[in-house]
Amino acid sequence: MSEVIVITSGKGGVGKTTSTANIGAGLARLNKKVVLVDTDIGLRNLDVVMGLENRIIYNLVDVVEGNCRIRQALIRDRHYSGLYLLPSAQTRDKSAVSPEQMVKLADTLKQTFDYIIMDCPAGIEQGFRNAIAAADRAIVVTTPEVSAIRDADRIIGLLESSGIRRIDLIINRIRMDMVRRGDMMSVEDVLDILSVNLIGAVPDEESVVIAANHGDPVLGSDTIAGRAYLNIARRILGEAVPLEHLEEHVSLFHRIAGMLGAK
Amino acid sequence: MKRNPKRTFLTSGEIAKERTGLTVSADRLDSRPERMDELRREVTAVLAKYINTEDDNLKVSITFACDTIRKSGQIGKRGRSDVKTIQIK
Repeated sequence: MSEVIVITSGKGGVGKTTSTANIGAGLARLNKKVVLVDTDIGLRNLDVVMGLENRIIYNLVDVVEGNCRIRQALIRDRHYSGLYLLPSAQTRDKSAVSPEQMVKLADTLKQTFDYIIMDCPAGIEQGFRNAIAAADRAIVVTTPEVSAIRDADRIIGLLESSGIRRIDLIINRIRMDMVRRGDMMSVEDVLDILSVNLIGAVPDEESVVIAANHGDPVLGSDTIAGRAYLNIARRILGEAVPLEHLEEHVSLFHRIAGMLGAK
Repeated sequence: MKRNPKRTFLTSGEIAKERTGLTVSADRLDSRPERMDELRREVTAVLAKYINTEDDNLKVSITFACDTIRKSGQIGKRGRSDVKTIQIK
């Protein structure tokens, strides 16, 4: 039974596209056939995050308008053979595709893929409506910041009123040093406010930026962020994975210094 | 976030959590007008048990305010910031 998952947030820049790419890699690594659909028409980004920007010939709008067959537009990932990208169009806008067309597209993709992941653009307008049209479930991405959480709550409300019952949360860009100091909201704080199921927490790590520079997934690297994304993929498949520690072992020196300076 | 009871000020994280919680609550009320009508009906029904709510001169509103949000982060400093006022009647 194929599943369509939308990765959304409301707020821009919190890590939807990065999460989409890494969740896709994780599911493919776990032997699923996965297609990632970039629904951000006009501001495509999933292609560069995956390092596939030079391989685009046809895109989502071409498929929907019948200029090509779906197979011609799909690009196979460089790392995982079961993972494919359906890129967005850069020179059109969100009115080029309708929610009905997205549903039709998803129905066709379901014949080939176990998971169809829709990378949703920021906002709550046409792009959002297109991305959620065919979704069976949603993963909302937020960071532990006031504006991101506020937007995430709004998005959760909109998802619920469009009939999407299965909603999970990723809390991204956590800095445990700041949380310990009291200068960042913790995972528990965010969950107290949003009251939605947590499917994963990802730390703010340099490794994520470096991987993006290369166009590689951070998943698969020996980093906490990489492991966090793999665990998210495992949880999507139904495995009960306990929440990982989000920071490296803190050296004794820093631990003592922290205690002396602690508030 | 665990608080040391001896600490007399709020950390920025605690302030953020309070602000976010209040903002989200206010937004939720705004975004569901049907819930607002329900709220008004239920509050009016409760008040009617104690006062005469039929009086057209009576005005009822609920204001959400927070006493502990202060720019300096000091707890217990006098003052309030109003987050939202809802007109019931």
